Amino acid sequence: MSLRRLYRRFTGEVLVLPGRTLVLAVCLALLVLPLFHRHPYTLRVLTLTFIFAIFAASWDLLSGFVGQLSLGHAIFFGVAAYTSALLNLRAGLPPLVTIPAGALVAVLMGLIVGIPCLRLKGQYLSLATMAFPIILTGLVFLFSGVTGGELGVSGLARLGPTRLSEYYIALVLVLGLGFIMWKITDSKVGLIFHAIREDEITARASGINTPLYKLLAFCLSGFFAGVSGGLYSHFMRVAGPSTLGVLTSFQPVIWTIFGGVASIYGAIVGTFVLYPLMEFLRVAPEFRTLIFAVLIVLVLRFMPEGLTPWFIDRVESECPRCKEHNAITRRTCRVCGTALGRPPASRAGLFQPGKGGRVAG
Amino acid sequence: MRKRWAALILVVTVFLTTLSFIGCTKAAAPKVIRIAVAGPMQFIQGQHHWLGAQMAAEEINKAGGVQVGNKKYQIELVQVDTNELLSVDDAASAVEKAITVNKVNAIVGTIRSEAAMAIQEVAMDHKTIMMVCGASLPQMAEKVGKDYNRYKYWFRVTPINATYLVKASMLLLNHVGAVVRKELGIQKPKVAAVIEKAVAGDPLAAAAAKLIPTFGMEFVGVWRPSPTATDLTAELTAIRKAGAQIIYTYFSATAGVPYAKQWGELQIPAASVGINVEAQAKGFMEATGGKGNYEYTLNTYAPVQITPKTIPFYEEFTKRAGQFPTYNAGTYDAIYIYKEAVERAKSLDPDAVVPELEKTNFLSAAGKIVFDKNHDVTWGPGYVTALGTQWQDGKLVAVWPNGWEGITYPGTVDYKLPPWVVAQWKKK
Repeated sequence: MSLRRLYRRFTGEVLVLPGRTLVLAVCLALLVLPLFHRHPYTLRVLTLTFIFAIFAASWDLLSGFVGQLSLGHAIFFGVAAYTSALLNLRAGLPPLVTIPAGALVAVLMGLIVGIPCLRLKGQYLSLATMAFPIILTGLVFLFSGVTGGELGVSGLARLGPTRLSEYYIALVLVLGLGFIMWKITDSKVGLIFHAIREDEITARASGINTPLYKLLAFCLSGFFAGVSGGLYSHFMRVAGPSTLGVLTSFQPVIWTIFGGVASIYGAIVGTFVLYPLMEFLRVAPEFRTLIFAVLIVLVLRFMPEGLTPWFIDRVESECPRCKEHNAITRRTCRVCGTALGRPPASRAGLFQPGKGGRVAG
Repeated sequence: MRKRWAALILVVTVFLTTLSFIGCTKAAAPKVIRIAVAGPMQFIQGQHHWLGAQMAAEEINKAGGVQVGNKKYQIELVQVDTNELLSVDDAASAVEKAITVNKVNAIVGTIRSEAAMAIQEVAMDHKTIMMVCGASLPQMAEKVGKDYNRYKYWFRVTPINATYLVKASMLLLNHVGAVVRKELGIQKPKVAAVIEKAVAGDPLAAAAAKLIPTFGMEFVGVWRPSPTATDLTAELTAIRKAGAQIIYTYFSATAGVPYAKQWGELQIPAASVGINVEAQAKGFMEATGGKGNYEYTLNTYAPVQITPKTIPFYEEFTKRAGQFPTYNAGTYDAIYIYKEAVERAKSLDPDAVVPELEKTNFLSAAGKIVFDKNHDVTWGPGYVTALGTQWQDGKLVAVWPNGWEGITYPGTVDYKLPPWVVAQWKKK
């Protein structure tokens, strides 16, 4: 593909939409940030944000897109963290090998979790998924000679030789894996996932092998969550039972729902906003968690579908004819040329449907 | 098009500017030593970390400060809420912030071992001196031996590590065994073990089964209740049926309260001894409805004269906190130890202070603190021995060491068997 075509693709598909342009700007900003600001604490917070963003996006893939609401996602994170930790410590393998190995074990765990969950739906599925990290925690304590028990495993090799390299490794991975996950959801497989979530019976009636695709979703989600687990253990240089904890399971749920479920980029945005925010709130240690919770409640009150859909509704509009997104400032659709009226009644509830005009505020 | 670009540039600029403020450091005031007190500040462990450190810093600053070479430095404490009981990465980030943003010279505190390991990595990365006052697992100290150059900045001031805790609690068990033999005339007492079902309890349960017979006692069984159990009548009645004269306990969490309460209410005819962290607290009598008398637990502090510092420290801390000091209050001693090492080294440079810390021979409120080759606090007669404390008439008193290895701290009283135990067994 020639450079000219690439450029045209770029201007035609990315720069035309404010949402995508902003994403691009933020990505570029993050890539060049260390040229201006290399404080180890900032880089630490951002690196952890990237790692957890991959984790949140993997949750969104399974729970947002396929509708298999997993409340025990820590199982994939933790099993990969422990696998990569133990391989590194006992077999002396470098992170480059242990992290993919951990991710593959997480894929296997995806099958182990997915198969019993095939017949379950809704809250029963969620409860079942909660059981797995608890089971694995029990095993960790039972075989504490191998796993280090309550203390966990420590003394792991670093993710990268310097904090800066760790930052870039995590950044490249979150951008790359996030992009891959987004492309998966944008493909035929993604369409099938969507169909399974909306109406599994109809999907099956259409001839789709839904158990296969559900297992595929568990495995894919497990893979990406496993990568983040391996990155985490090598970044922290410690892998312990907290990686299988309830907090670890619940955090991606909170971040994703805040950011906008069923959109991959929503999960990433949610993590990018909430994780550094929690860190920033350290200035008020007694009220930290309270402020955090209040903020989330307020945001979800006024942006019930999450931050990203609310934002996109503000800056982009959907063409009534071809359904393509356009910048809000456009008068005609960039694809089919239909005249674009004022933005239609939004799902966000602040607009008044039927009035046809934007209500101030 | 131009407006959109302008908006974008504005957004990016704001984003970058905000980020650059996150890492802003205040201009470091001269002649101040900053010490981070790291712990879960919303919980009692962190609160005791902070109070103990505060006491030490105030005393030192009032006396003129720390003499580094020919300059006097004041101590400034930085409170770091690690939230480690809930999140390990939160704890590590908090400590990294303290080191890189607040520019602390040393860290004291920590409690949860998994988080302490992660914090240890961060502190060693930045070559910052770290003095643990809470996490007891021995593996952290072993790293000093394995990779000295990296981990040499790590020290443990309190508590004595888990291996020693087990040894000390077994000494308490033998103490009670000797009393049972003498006062009840039972030469081979039956011992039941009640060890909470937590990871730290597993090796202890195994050790109990193995070692108790070697003490000339009969091991009748081990019961493993949940650490947060609220009803232990099943275990206690089974122990009564088994005919035990002694119960060896390990409780690090809330089950210690209902255990002692029901033990007293049901008047189980067995003397209770071991580790019961809840029984170290001032509110124990109230929590057990007054039934917790005669409970006997390993402890770090009591109003006895382990060293001339112990009683003044104990009384001042209890006055300030409204609670008895737990081992976390050892930050008090940690800061003094650090001060002395810095003064001997005549420098704040960690590489100069570490060799001086290794030479520590300090009479602390808990005993004489000397570090072993793994920078772990030494346990033994003449060093930190820990204490056995028993509730008698609603008061917590020290009953051990009472002649052990020739040691009896002034203020120690004799251990008392619960009267219902004596009544049950003495007729035999």
